[in-house]
Amino acid sequence: MDRPRRTPGLSSLTSSRIASSQYASHGASLRSQNAQSLSTQLEVFQSLLHNFAVVHAKDIRANPAFRAEFARMCSALGVDFLASSHHRGKGKDGASGSIWAQILGSDVNDFYFNLGVLIVEECRATRAENGGLISVAEIRQRIQRGRRIGGGMEVSDDDITRAVDSLAPLGSCFSIMKIGHRSLIRSVPKELNTDQCTVLEAIQVLGYVTVSMLQINLDWERPRAYAVIQDLMSDSLVWVDTQAGENEYWSPASISGALGGPG
Amino acid sequence: MTTHTNPSTSLDPDNTTFKFPSHYSFPPFFTLQPVHTTRTSQLHSWSRLIQSYCQHHHLWTLSLTDALPSPLFTNTHLSRSLSLRDAREIISWMTTSEAGRRAEWTSPTSSTSSTSSTSTTSGDREDQKTRCYIFWRRPEEWASVIEEWVDRTGQKGSVLTLYEIVESESTRKEEFWGMERGLLERCLRVLVKGGRAQVFGREGSEGVKFF
Repeated sequence: MDRPRRTPGLSSLTSSRIASSQYASHGASLRSQNAQSLSTQLEVFQSLLHNFAVVHAKDIRANPAFRAEFARMCSALGVDFLASSHHRGKGKDGASGSIWAQILGSDVNDFYFNLGVLIVEECRATRAENGGLISVAEIRQRIQRGRRIGGGMEVSDDDITRAVDSLAPLGSCFSIMKIGHRSLIRSVPKELNTDQCTVLEAIQVLGYVTVSMLQINLDWERPRAYAVIQDLMSDSLVWVDTQAGENEYWSPASISGALGGPG
Repeated sequence: MTTHTNPSTSLDPDNTTFKFPSHYSFPPFFTLQPVHTTRTSQLHSWSRLIQSYCQHHHLWTLSLTDALPSPLFTNTHLSRSLSLRDAREIISWMTTSEAGRRAEWTSPTSSTSSTSSTSTTSGDREDQKTRCYIFWRRPEEWASVIEEWVDRTGQKGSVLTLYEIVESESTRKEEFWGMERGLLERCLRVLVKGGRAQVFGREGSEGVKFF
């Protein structure tokens, strides 16, 4: 096929070596060109993002929906803005490293860390009541109600998720878990097993469960259903109501949801 | 959602409905929880509810037998109510220092005048525990509220009757209006002890002078 290019004899070895080294050098130059153009693009983009953030700083600070969108955009682009305000001086002369800090007046970090502290406080305050499992929505309500100085804070579920994530380096076992379609913040180190999760999910759907409901719907043996309920109860994750004939087990998460009244 | 007609609120000066906390519509709230930590949190919630309910309706004492069917302990929407035993346990817990001593049992025979002894707590007999003070303000706190009123209205140095303090038109708008005699006497005793008031006169027509 490519007979004309094939040189017979020993010289073919050197020529192929030359060719491959030329390919390599050309590849390298292409790569560096690419990288250069990319880095220019990135710089342009960063400055645009910077402008955008400067223009909309007020919205970012004030509007939780907007903040969530902005944060989502940043994370989609691989810009971790929690981290980026942290690594000061990462850029040429520290300017690009802390753009978020400049933009948002106070550190974005601070915003999320403050929120994190509030979340920890609320989790601790309600731990005896709900066993350390609280829905993101309820935390949001509680924070917005805010009895503290400065009044309630406008936050979105997204902010709360981010703030909980930012607590991760503390290794303090604060994490977000999903049961059914709801996100819950877990502030106790305990892991829930599948049976317990199933029961909590059922409670979420039905409002409450009884031992016989679990027996019928999940096809569990009575001792199994009973044991799971007892486990959950001893962790304050469910409350018992003995006034309904058969004992009903309710999740304290519905305390706030039922009436939704402040106080 | 919760508009309650309340039999015990005929004395209610302002006819606004009491806003129950969200716990109130949570059925298990009416069953004392067997698990200790849960129960402690539940007791705190009940204590807060009872105090704010009494404050709203200006109740100084609760008679458990009368109060059990009232909206405070019975949620007719849920058809749940607290049992007498559980209610007793809650009140008993409220009398402890852990709960800030926000309640106190009164002996069944004690009329308002027999509270002159320093301790009105009845014996340990369970069946005697049917009536109690609910201190949405502690006597010491009431003492300073009354003192503040005396100060505000410039009545320091003048002699006031007990009737004037808690039943006259001039104090109609004050929070302590309508306070039970026994409780009032206790508050005044606090002031006397602190050297800020003096009580004299025969029983039934005492006067009090504030310094």
